[in-house]
Amino acid sequence: MSRSLAVVPHLVRIYIRTRMEYRGAMLLAWFAQALSYAATYTAIALLLLRFGNLGGWAWSEMALLLSFHLLAYSLGASLSFTQFRDIEEKVRMGTFDAVLIKPVSPWIYLVFSGLNIGYAGHIILAVGLMAWAVTQVAVDWSALTALYFLLSLVSAAMVTAAIMTMIGATALVWVRSKHLFSIFFGFWELARYPLNIFPVPLQILMLTVAPLGFLAFVPVAVTLGKPVPLLGDWALFASLAAGPLAVTLGALHWRHCIRNYQGAGG
Amino acid sequence: MAIIAASGVEKIFRQPKRQAGLGGAIRGLFSREFTEVRAVDGISFAIEPGEAVGYLGPNGAGKSTMIKMMTGILVPSSGTVEVLGREPHTNRLTNAAEIGVVFGQRSQLWWDLPVRDSFDLNRHIYDVPAPRFAENLARLTAMLDMEGYVDRPVRQLSLGQRMRAEIAMALLHDPKILFLDEPTIGLDVVAKDTVRKFLAEVNRDRGTTIILTTHDLVDIEQICPRLIMVDDGKLLFDGELKHLRQTLGSRRRLKLEFGTDPGPITLQTAALVTDEGLAKHFLLENEQTSILDVLTELGSGHDLTDIKLEEPNIEEVIRTFYQNKPALAGARP
Amino acid sequence: MRAAAYPAFALTAFQSRLVYRNQVWASAFGDLVSIFARIAIWTAAFAGATQVDGITLPEMVTYSVLAWPLLYWDFSRVLYDVGGAVQTGDVAVFLLKPIHYPSYLLSTHFGHFAFECVTIVVPVALIVGFTVGLLPPASLFHGLMFFAYWAVSWLTLFALACLCGLLAFWLLTAFSLEWFLMAIMSLFSGAVVPLWFLPAPLAALFGYLPFAWVSYYPSAVYLGKLDPAATWLHLGIGLVWLGLLSAATLALWAKARTRLVVQGG
Repeated sequence: MSRSLAVVPHLVRIYIRTRMEYRGAMLLAWFAQALSYAATYTAIALLLLRFGNLGGWAWSEMALLLSFHLLAYSLGASLSFTQFRDIEEKVRMGTFDAVLIKPVSPWIYLVFSGLNIGYAGHIILAVGLMAWAVTQVAVDWSALTALYFLLSLVSAAMVTAAIMTMIGATALVWVRSKHLFSIFFGFWELARYPLNIFPVPLQILMLTVAPLGFLAFVPVAVTLGKPVPLLGDWALFASLAAGPLAVTLGALHWRHCIRNYQGAGG
Repeated sequence: MAIIAASGVEKIFRQPKRQAGLGGAIRGLFSREFTEVRAVDGISFAIEPGEAVGYLGPNGAGKSTMIKMMTGILVPSSGTVEVLGREPHTNRLTNAAEIGVVFGQRSQLWWDLPVRDSFDLNRHIYDVPAPRFAENLARLTAMLDMEGYVDRPVRQLSLGQRMRAEIAMALLHDPKILFLDEPTIGLDVVAKDTVRKFLAEVNRDRGTTIILTTHDLVDIEQICPRLIMVDDGKLLFDGELKHLRQTLGSRRRLKLEFGTDPGPITLQTAALVTDEGLAKHFLLENEQTSILDVLTELGSGHDLTDIKLEEPNIEEVIRTFYQNKPALAGARP
Repeated sequence: MRAAAYPAFALTAFQSRLVYRNQVWASAFGDLVSIFARIAIWTAAFAGATQVDGITLPEMVTYSVLAWPLLYWDFSRVLYDVGGAVQTGDVAVFLLKPIHYPSYLLSTHFGHFAFECVTIVVPVALIVGFTVGLLPPASLFHGLMFFAYWAVSWLTLFALACLCGLLAFWLLTAFSLEWFLMAIMSLFSGAVVPLWFLPAPLAALFGYLPFAWVSYYPSAVYLGKLDPAATWLHLGIGLVWLGLLSAATLALWAKARTRLVVQGG
């Protein structure tokens, strides 16, 4: 494990160098992606302009929710999304074999040899929107609330990376797993709205098997002092525990799948 | 003690059945049947340190699967594989540090960066001390004639240059065993020759154990004194190449061409197969028979214009194998 | 090549998708989750009001199903198909064959669209119809006109995706172009928020841009929000936009083709 960690800076450096070979395309992509999110947020803002609030959430509160959603997602996804989306391709082409013959942890190798700096556009937009939103919402910011806010952000990023890992790991056994990302992004889209507006079965799903309720809604609702359906007073604790718990499950699943790796099948 | 020992190894894959036609495809949306494919079927062998072994067989014979089990990528369905006294898949990271692996068709180099960057990353991955790394790099660069391109991006290299770089990269950490999966596939004649000479030298001078899969018999002739031959997941032959020829009776072909038809010719050393008048085809009965023996027996006085000796090619060897399978069981003592 | 070959391309594309059954189930499930989310969002926004700006909640539910999965289909396949072909120069293969590349693309992607329609959109619409309820067209006239609008919508989105794909030939990145188009569509097409809920100046502006013909106008016609005169008028404007976009696409294609032929890819 210590060797694996020692390799991390070298993997990151070599990956960034490959991305810098195409820096024009990368900068354009940062801009295009930020623009696309900004357009969606504008549509939501226009909706709130007409209707005043959504499930009791005003625009400034929605802005905090949206920025938290984007920031937590980007932090987790830069460690995981493209890496584990492309694992299916790697399995089929046999290049995943080359990861398994290295004397470092395959998870560390995959994650950091593809640490996606393409999320910079997301992160800049999210931080900008968040900086505005935290001054607009009615929260008495103290060291403790700020600490909770940061820790829950880390926890939410962990949830993202853990789910992506699990979906990617599934490709090691099933060969295909890309389709599971369609389901992920279905729930991911829901996760940027207040959970209380959804039917109860969806709420249950979002707090259990598809735990993207913890990606933004639960921590932001706790911060704003809004009621959290189903969890109630447990919301604070649950939002902090969700990340570590998801990571533990993700690690177990990853190990199981590595052991049962079948290659491209013959 | 054997450096690699396989005993009764089996590997079974489950593959979905594809049904034909639109109707079949729609049915496939709702249910799927599976077939079991036995890629490796009860294989046992032992390899000693310093050996160079060719693992030969047609496509789909289970060559790559066996390599993947020895390198810890795949877990055998049953039987045991031991590499350097360890089970590779349970000790994958420890095992990985002591072996080198080259995949002929899957590059491990970083496509957009100079070759040197990939090498340097491997130095950190394998934790090679800087002086030893520098020494190995200098030696391998010279031996494989890579001075001209170690600082060029991989995407600009020819296949032959890339393969040399792949092999060098697998040896930078002084592995005890070097596995190569189809290292010469797709290379031109000159590149093939360079790779073969280099591998033979590494095996001879550095004592690195080499296991390579191929379906090119020449790879084996030039690098590997020992040959393991598989087909359909089963071991067909394990022994020396010349022993294989003797066992198989896959004989060399001799073609004699004449300026004027010498009439029928019968020889002790070679059997006539086809007689086209000016061109006559013979099979050499004996591994020890040389062209000189044939010419001596033929004597002078014929208007001989050309002589061609053809080694049996791999397809022929394998075809003969199919026909002689039962006779070959346990060819190696 | 005979015209009969083009329907065959569509059929091949349709059939090729059947192999990926997990993709079908997952997409249908993902879309179902999304559509129920949108319904929940509108329900929350209406907050018990019977109508807002003359629009009822059942109308918004129907609008959600029409405007998004049916009319605003996943154009990225077209964009990457075109972008990849011109960037790698693989498109040269088509120049060697007696095939009109734009027509080939059109038929192939119509096959893909038909597949997604049958396997994903129709089942999702049926489930929504039986659980939440969907409205029929406002009248026979509006119902029939919807099909004309649908055709304009489909071809407009196809032309936009091709246009962005072709731009990849010069900008060398299909990825960014996909996101640019997504940015434009999510705001201007009405797929997320219909124009009638927007502030009047914005609604007027968006209403004249071609993107509104992808989601907003067809759905509005279906729901009878345009009177017959306005329906005909906007169909005309939509056709003009479609003509301009098609001309731009073909012009860009001609330009790319010349560059490919002259420079050899």
